[in-house]
Amino acid sequence: MIEVRHICKTLPGGRRVLDDLSFTVRKGEFVGVLGASGAGKTLTLRCLNGLLKPDSGSILIALPGGGVEDICKVPSRKLRQIRQRIGVVFQGYHLVKRLTVLENVLVGRLGQISTFRSLIYGFKDKEAEEAVAALEKVKVAHLAGARVSSLSGGEMQRVAIARAIFQNPHLLLADEPISNLDPSNAKVIMRLIRPLCEEMPVIGVFHQPEMTAKYCTRIIAIKEGRIVYDGQPVLTQEQLIDIYGEELRQIENHNHERPVL
Amino acid sequence: MNAVPGYTLPSIKYKQKATIATAVAFVFVGLCVAMGFDPALLFTEFHYVRDLAGSMTPPNFKVFWSDAGIYMAIAESLCMAFLGTLLGGLGGLALAFGSAGPTMPWKGVRMVCRGILTLLRVIPTLILILIFVVSVGIGPFSGVLTLLLATIGGFGQLFTQVIEQAEPKPLEAVYSVGASRVQVIRFGLWPQVLPSFIANMFYAYDVNLRAGIGLGIFGGGGVGFQLFMAIRLLHYKEAFALICVTVVLIVLMEKASDLLRTSLLQKNL
Amino acid sequence: MNVLSYKKNRMSTLPSKRDRASALPYKGGRYLRYLLPLGVLGVLTWLSSMVCHTNWASLAKGIHESLPYFKNLLAPDWSALSSLLKPALDSVLIALVGTFAGTLIAVFFALSAASNVAPRPVRFIVRALMGIERALPEIVILLFLVAAFGMGPFSGVLSLTIGCVGMLGKLLADAIEELDPVYIESMEAVGARKVQVLFFGVIQPIVPTIVSYGLFRFEMSIRLSIVLGAVGAGGIGMELYRAFSLYEYPRASMALLLILVLVFLSERGAAYLRKKYFT
Ligand SMILES: Nc1ncnc2c1ncn2[C@@H]1O[C@H](COP(=O)(O)OP(=O)(O)OP(=O)(O)O)[C@@H](O)[C@H]1O
Ligand SMILES: [Mg+2]
Repeated sequence: MIEVRHICKTLPGGRRVLDDLSFTVRKGEFVGVLGASGAGKTLTLRCLNGLLKPDSGSILIALPGGGVEDICKVPSRKLRQIRQRIGVVFQGYHLVKRLTVLENVLVGRLGQISTFRSLIYGFKDKEAEEAVAALEKVKVAHLAGARVSSLSGGEMQRVAIARAIFQNPHLLLADEPISNLDPSNAKVIMRLIRPLCEEMPVIGVFHQPEMTAKYCTRIIAIKEGRIVYDGQPVLTQEQLIDIYGEELRQIENHNHERPVL
Repeated sequence: MNAVPGYTLPSIKYKQKATIATAVAFVFVGLCVAMGFDPALLFTEFHYVRDLAGSMTPPNFKVFWSDAGIYMAIAESLCMAFLGTLLGGLGGLALAFGSAGPTMPWKGVRMVCRGILTLLRVIPTLILILIFVVSVGIGPFSGVLTLLLATIGGFGQLFTQVIEQAEPKPLEAVYSVGASRVQVIRFGLWPQVLPSFIANMFYAYDVNLRAGIGLGIFGGGGVGFQLFMAIRLLHYKEAFALICVTVVLIVLMEKASDLLRTSLLQKNL
Repeated sequence: MNVLSYKKNRMSTLPSKRDRASALPYKGGRYLRYLLPLGVLGVLTWLSSMVCHTNWASLAKGIHESLPYFKNLLAPDWSALSSLLKPALDSVLIALVGTFAGTLIAVFFALSAASNVAPRPVRFIVRALMGIERALPEIVILLFLVAAFGMGPFSGVLSLTIGCVGMLGKLLADAIEELDPVYIESMEAVGARKVQVLFFGVIQPIVPTIVSYGLFRFEMSIRLSIVLGAVGAGGIGMELYRAFSLYEYPRASMALLLILVLVFLSERGAAYLRKKYFT
């Protein structure tokens, strides 16, 4: 379970990018976060992982072994321990380009093995097999030995997802995990993520309301750093226009065709 | 005529350029006069060069049979550069890790490392070799020590930049799985900087080979020392032979290190 | 049917067990392949230290013993400053003139070494000449020049000029070859004469490159002019060398201090000019 309480963030320039966000996500929920570009979705996810400290508020995370920690206040050693079990798929994938695909996935367990073992590259056979299994789930196992710099955007995205899954996370944060995928691979990924929410809270940022309507159990919409909607996954056209702005309506009226969305 | 904003009229531009060119020409001539440097000397005194060329040719390659010390000198030159590059490169790497922001969290240590690097970079090699020749004696070892310190300075500074320019995003991703700082460096940073490290090591070897020959003149040993002695003793034909060897040696080593470098960088390290 | 085709597809994209095993990073001794290169490196290091008579104990001992002398290096003799200023200026002038003349000449060499400007035979000869020059350190060139012209700034400037031509000639030739052909073509298209094409189509576009390389070389030249001074080019390097050889350490220390200031200032100055020119 993850509980966000009244987090605020003001940029050095004085702009308030996160304004009093509060929500709770429990096991069994697959939350889709919607919002226009620049609304603050990525910043929110970064706060949940502790990569960004909010100015005020608290973020409570239930630990696997029981107990609850406020990720904004824990010392850095404890934070590292908590992060081991938080899977993150970054918006720009953030893979290490010169390592192979498999090595990039193995990186996901770094926090869980000792520093010495990782320095001599001592991953075990079992871990490597699991990493390949994670790659198989996202259908890029045939690339395991290739360098990441030689992959296409969609393949990199799937490697990043495999890395997060391989972590055995207790909380999964995915920032636009299907932004670069073709429709059929996007479905593969959504079918993969959806059942994960049986075991852990899953929060994903999406720009595809029709996908979130099909797969998510709940939608949170953010607009200019504030939550403007929190509830059922199926949104009406009016609600979408409220989130994304008037331009949505204009395009639709122009074409007199089926809406693209 | 009104000047168009953002555009200078050709007439004005020409005037500016002419002024700058004249000023530079005057300064140049003034500098030459101030120093007593007369380019015309090159033409009026050219017969000296002809004389020297006459006494240098044909090169006396017989020394290679008569004097085995030359082979030792060549080996010394190669080894000096090798040791200087390897040890200096590793030292520079260590100091670079200590002075780059992403690898060293403590500001105090960073400042100290940076200070050492700057000092090593501005200290002239001349004074280093002079000091080492006094303290460890004439010979290749003093050359090695000088090259080592000079390499640490140059390499360290270059490498600090390489580390600081590495992509920060993968580092962040490795942090996000709960990895420690050492692990982040090993898996996020090291793969990024390793190719540059290897390429620059080879480059530094070429530079050091040349620099080592220059150092020989001050007592650093190697081909440079032999060359210096030959010229001192007015054995110009031998000196010319040594020059030929030096050129061949340096060109060959350059090609070899080029080959090795490209083949290494293609490998999956 | 859908499910079936999905499965089939999956089978075909999946690697065989062996392929996967070969991708695993630790199998078959991941570090075994580093063993040979590291071993070679170790043997080379050992051999080199034999050849170079490295003796770290003697270094420690030597430094320890010579420390009393070198302590004087920490106390510069300020009264020598006035007699050292002129040589310091000389060193700067040698570097400046050598770099300036060298850069100008290098442009011509670069033109005759670039494949899109010069004919093949010329190019070949010029490239070979510059290659030989680059293989010879400036200091060796200076030795010969001193043998011909005698000691003095003339030999110093000349050797720096030659060194500059060898280095910048190649760099600029490469820059010209990478030049977009549209520059030359557009000049030819408007019917410009050969000289005009060269000047406006080739030299004009690489002026920023010339400036940045020239500044870079200037920094190098300052350092070089100090070493060259000791071999006979005069200037502050000569003063340092002489004072050091005569055990006049306070004076040598003053010269060293001046050199540090010089190198530092030249670096700052070059950085300033670079910033000024390129923004
Ligand atoms: N490091 C930063 N420095 C300054 N401004 C930032 C920084 N990071 C984000 N911002 C600003 O904060 C706002 C929210 O950014 P955020 O990345 O959360 O947007 P987003 O909702 O993820 O958008 P997108 O859908 O395009 O990814 C943006 O306006 C952005 O300009
Ligand atoms: Mg975003």
